[in-house]
Amino acid sequence: MSNETHQDKKLVGVLGQFDSPDALLHACENARQSGIKKMDAYSPFPIHGIEKALGVPRTILPFFVLAVGLSACAAGLGLQWFTNATENWGPWSGYQFKISGKPYFSLPANIPVTFEIIVLSSAFAAFLGMLALNRLPTFANPLHRIARFKRATNDRFFLAIETSEGGLDATSARNKLMEYGATDVEEVWLDQTDHQLPAFLKTFLVLALVLLLLPPVMVFRGQGMTSRQTRLHLNPDMDFQHKFKPQSLGPVASDDPLGFFFEHKRSALAQIPGTVSRNQDDSDSTFLRGIKAGPDSHHTNIKIPVVLASNQEQEALTPAAAPVEPDWVTEFPEQFDVNQENMLLGQKKYDIYCSVCHGYSGEGDGLVNQRASALAINGGTTWTAAKSYHDPEVVKQPVGRIFDTITNGRATMGPYASRLSPADRWAIVLYIKAIQETRANVPPATDVPPEADKNAGAKAE
Amino acid sequence: MWDYNEQTRFEINLMATTVQTRIDNSIEDPSRRAPLITGGLDYDGVSDVVSDLAEMAKPPRIWYVLLAISASLTLILGALIGLLFFKGVGVWGNNAPVYWGWPIVNFVFWVGIGHAGTLISAILFLFRQHWRTGINRAAEAMTIFAVICAGMFPGIHIGRVWAFYWLFPIPSEHLSMWPNFRSPLLWDVFAVSTYFTVSLLFWYMGMVPDLATFRDRSTTRLRKFIYGILALGWTGSARHWHRYETAYTILAALATPLVLSVHTIVSFDFAVSIVPGWHTTIFPPYFVAGAIFSGFAMVITLLVPMRSIFNLKHIITVRHIENMNKIIMVTGLMVGTAYTIEFFIAWYSGNPFELFAFKNRSFGPFWWAYCIMFSCNVFVPQLYWFKRIRTSMIMSVVIGILVNVGMWFERFVIVMTLNRDYLPSSWSYFRPTWVDIMMLIGSFGLFMTLFLLFCRFLPVIAMSEVKGTITFQRNMAHAGGYADQH
Amino acid sequence: MHHIRKAEITSPITTLASDTTTRLVPVAGIAGIGCIAGAFLLSPGGFAHFSHAYLVNFCFYATICIGALFFVLIQHLTRAGWSVTVRRIAEIMACCLLPLAVLFLPILIPVMLGSSELYTWNTSRDSLGWAVGDGDMYDLKTVFLSKNFFALRNIIYFAVWSLIAWSLYRWSVRQDETGEKSLTMRMQGFSAPMMLLFVGALVFGAFDWEMSLSPMWFSTMFPVYFFAGCVLSSLATITLVALVLQRSGRVTDEITVEHYHDLAKWTFAFIFFWGYVAFSQFMLIWYANFPEETFWFRFRSEGGWMTVSMILLFGHLFIPFLGMMARTVRRSKTFLLFSSIYLLIMHWVDHYWLIMPQLGASVHPGYNSPTPIPGPPIPELLCFLGIGFVLFASVCLIAGKRSLVARRDPRLHEALNYNNP
Repeated sequence: MSNETHQDKKLVGVLGQFDSPDALLHACENARQSGIKKMDAYSPFPIHGIEKALGVPRTILPFFVLAVGLSACAAGLGLQWFTNATENWGPWSGYQFKISGKPYFSLPANIPVTFEIIVLSSAFAAFLGMLALNRLPTFANPLHRIARFKRATNDRFFLAIETSEGGLDATSARNKLMEYGATDVEEVWLDQTDHQLPAFLKTFLVLALVLLLLPPVMVFRGQGMTSRQTRLHLNPDMDFQHKFKPQSLGPVASDDPLGFFFEHKRSALAQIPGTVSRNQDDSDSTFLRGIKAGPDSHHTNIKIPVVLASNQEQEALTPAAAPVEPDWVTEFPEQFDVNQENMLLGQKKYDIYCSVCHGYSGEGDGLVNQRASALAINGGTTWTAAKSYHDPEVVKQPVGRIFDTITNGRATMGPYASRLSPADRWAIVLYIKAIQETRANVPPATDVPPEADKNAGAKAE
Repeated sequence: MWDYNEQTRFEINLMATTVQTRIDNSIEDPSRRAPLITGGLDYDGVSDVVSDLAEMAKPPRIWYVLLAISASLTLILGALIGLLFFKGVGVWGNNAPVYWGWPIVNFVFWVGIGHAGTLISAILFLFRQHWRTGINRAAEAMTIFAVICAGMFPGIHIGRVWAFYWLFPIPSEHLSMWPNFRSPLLWDVFAVSTYFTVSLLFWYMGMVPDLATFRDRSTTRLRKFIYGILALGWTGSARHWHRYETAYTILAALATPLVLSVHTIVSFDFAVSIVPGWHTTIFPPYFVAGAIFSGFAMVITLLVPMRSIFNLKHIITVRHIENMNKIIMVTGLMVGTAYTIEFFIAWYSGNPFELFAFKNRSFGPFWWAYCIMFSCNVFVPQLYWFKRIRTSMIMSVVIGILVNVGMWFERFVIVMTLNRDYLPSSWSYFRPTWVDIMMLIGSFGLFMTLFLLFCRFLPVIAMSEVKGTITFQRNMAHAGGYADQH
Repeated sequence: MHHIRKAEITSPITTLASDTTTRLVPVAGIAGIGCIAGAFLLSPGGFAHFSHAYLVNFCFYATICIGALFFVLIQHLTRAGWSVTVRRIAEIMACCLLPLAVLFLPILIPVMLGSSELYTWNTSRDSLGWAVGDGDMYDLKTVFLSKNFFALRNIIYFAVWSLIAWSLYRWSVRQDETGEKSLTMRMQGFSAPMMLLFVGALVFGAFDWEMSLSPMWFSTMFPVYFFAGCVLSSLATITLVALVLQRSGRVTDEITVEHYHDLAKWTFAFIFFWGYVAFSQFMLIWYANFPEETFWFRFRSEGGWMTVSMILLFGHLFIPFLGMMARTVRRSKTFLLFSSIYLLIMHWVDHYWLIMPQLGASVHPGYNSPTPIPGPPIPELLCFLGIGFVLFASVCLIAGKRSLVARRDPRLHEALNYNNP
């Protein structure tokens, strides 16, 4: 082989072949003793002690992995702290919520995820760090041009000594290798064209990258968009369930060959006349409904099930007239005593049930209301804001009307009859009236005993 | 490949069989270590034997038969998943109070199976157990395929599958909603996905030198290209080996606690609750032991047929099988101890609910499942006290299958504790639907399909590690510690 | 390739027996008994304080010996080669379970005499706490926690452990003379079934000695926690003893840095394992938050006990875990000497934390906090010295003129040529 035949090639080293790991190990030791530094050994499996023979320093990989692991520990804890234990902090808000009595940031419960994040990051650090330190993947290597070298991954052992202009020349390298016991020696030529990536591979890689990036980009974009299109029903079974609500109408007779439905194709039997269901006890209209007892007070607000054959008929029979405002009770009923005990009861119940929306001072600034209103402003949801009790319209309302609102709900507000007894509801009405009073007539300083003033001050702080 | 032809292969095999008849490497002799690679295989011989399946023009007919069966089952599984998405989880037998029915049983079962691979590759590596080199690659592959099957079940159980990414902490502009990191179910998401990723890294990294061997042996351009890309340009440089071995040790050291953590976290799913029979502190180590137990049983079930079909008997020797059987026996005893401690503490605690849960498990409506569990997991492995059974290939497979039946029923028994909750009016008998049953069978199809493809296209044995073991064996033979077969 | 050492030990047999040790045996024995008696007499908190302090130290030493027995068994079961040179140390330590059986009498005798100062279940129905309302459940529990059954169980534990430890030691010593390979086979065969008995005794020993101090409390993980401590402390002790013996010239070049490195790796693994078990046990009880379970951890998170808990968390887990991570550290004899002593101190704190909060603690969960320790830790220290002296004397008697290394084990050459990659 001469230089003429290798126009665009360059001699970079000499490769010697050995038959056993021991032979290679000895060759490395000898080469190092004779002062050769630029060399590398190749073997199909790791040879114990060869890095010492070659003078390879211990790798820094463990320290790199440790650093990544420690950072991952901090990142993992930080992630959980930010997402579960903070709110309105940073570009995306965290989301605090209580669950199973655990603190927002509860270290024992945060350990498993932190641990997994540490392991995942450290494993990637070890693998990618190894590749980076080894400068892999490198597909162009002059050694791969040598047919003999294919056995380096099978059953032969090689020592490559680098040659350079000022340093070792090919002949002396070759001689040295023979001296160390190489069975065969061959020159290694660097082909400059090897380093170019095939064109089709480039296209493929770019295409693959773009395609891989598409889904996350779509998802991310989709998050910020609203759409007027009908939503997609991916599994109609879940979206349109085959079920009937109580007292609703069933399908037409031909759809019900088994006679599953009741008379007039109802999904349940009609109520027996005279049935009084829960919360429909109207024996004491004043106390139970907040409506003055009178000839019309019965049945005004009770939806009597109408037995009908079809929707059209039902619509036809529904009274279209505007609802008549009932005759609301204006004073607290007899059974309910206006006293300190009931006031405290009302406060307690108010704080539990009402304050989340209406706020502790009745301004309509409860946490749920704030959050829901914020979301509604951002779009996507509808929300009727909770009323402030200090709204003149509300201040005007008679106690019976307020009682009815609690009992049956209004707009977004749901009925509370199932959760609060009538006495509790009246207590809340009492407390609401008191709240309104504080705003309407600020009591003169003389009316307030000094201790109470102090307490109020402390509370306000 | 070079100076390699049919004749030499024949000679190697002939030599291998003759030597095999002379060496029984399961015989115990304290002064000498039995050889782990028999048949006089040298470096080239190992490459030949292992590459044979990937390089032969046509694999054995049995491979096609098995692939046809398992691929059909996989198709059925796919169709059923489609049905599930369309109809909702009502197609399963899950009910109230058994909200978690077969899907979680299958999930825990497959995750458990997925534990042996990393145990073999990581823990036995740290213990310097040289016999692991013959079996680790196949076991790691099995781990990955089992974790795929495992991850599938909770993945398709979340109801609105198209919103699966809500499982991950992805910032969203409007909702400001994040996963609840205090929930054990979220720990599961992190544990299983980490486990899958790290196992995959570990498996792939271990395979790089062997893929380079495949690359250098390949005769067609396509093979050269694909294996060339996968091998990342590996040359076997001593510097590379040094960093590679360091990275491998680090990965092993990371994977070891990871293995513990994964099944521990799976056990937390149950044990952090206040359900009697679920809330018991021994669950973490007990689940881990059970996982190793079932995982090794599955490795045995796969490797025994594999070694005879693909002619790997000199690399996966009787001693390898015997060692794994011993581990099955030990972990079986651990599981048995945990059953006993649990039962004892249910009695000792003086908690009537706890005691009821355990009585109900063993004498309640699912007594038959408890019997299967106990006999397969505790009694059957006791047969391994006899060396004849430990070294019998047929018995190994039979017991391996029985152990996995038992371990499936263990998870079934645990989940069925829900069957009789605090409200006797809701007690009823749990029955799976046909979809439940076919999905379990289909998951085996998926698992087997992946495994068969692995056998055909990737190096089934860690060749470079086996070659290292051959060298070690030779060196020790000089020191008088290993039976010298050369 | 490498220099390969011959599979024999050329140096003369090194033993513990010397003029000094022979003279020290009776002195140590008497001093030990004296210390225990002194602890009893000088206890600031009366008999209750003494018995708790005694139990802390008894458990401290007993767990080390149980761990050593496990070490011997597992080496035989796995046919380990690397550990041959350090196995004899563990064998001698395991044999200390015989004198420990006698040292258990100061706990057993008061129980038999009806004392409930240590084990509150030994007195009244009320002491069982929670389950009192449930007649049947209570009756079941009293069957288990009764003094006669307690005594019977403890006799079985010590019989099992002593039998295993003594048999393995005797055969191993016989091999020093004869070099029979069959003895190795016999020890391996013996270890398999004995491991089952060993584990059974360990599980119920953990329940009896420490868990039943709070008769109400139960945790299925407890034996595993106990076991993790056993193995960790025994590994630290084996390392420490090997270092001391080598420094004093009783063992020469049989134990190399490779063996220390391997012991340190085991120690490192068990530091993590201990942390894993401790965390899992705490986590499950904390998360479920059952009153009948959490009170046990509440006792240990109030007042000064929180400090002790934190010392354990950092001192028993984080600090040694990070400290022993580096390979160079694990191969440094100076560091290992320090870390073994440190880990043993932490192991002592662990048992202190398990036992002492029960002193004066209300048996009714959640009603009371544990009372503080009633005075200076005189009985704790004196019992530590007392049991230590007695065991030192026993070790000298057990080891006697026998070799401190299994000189003719068939796998000795593996241990001598052992190299960590």
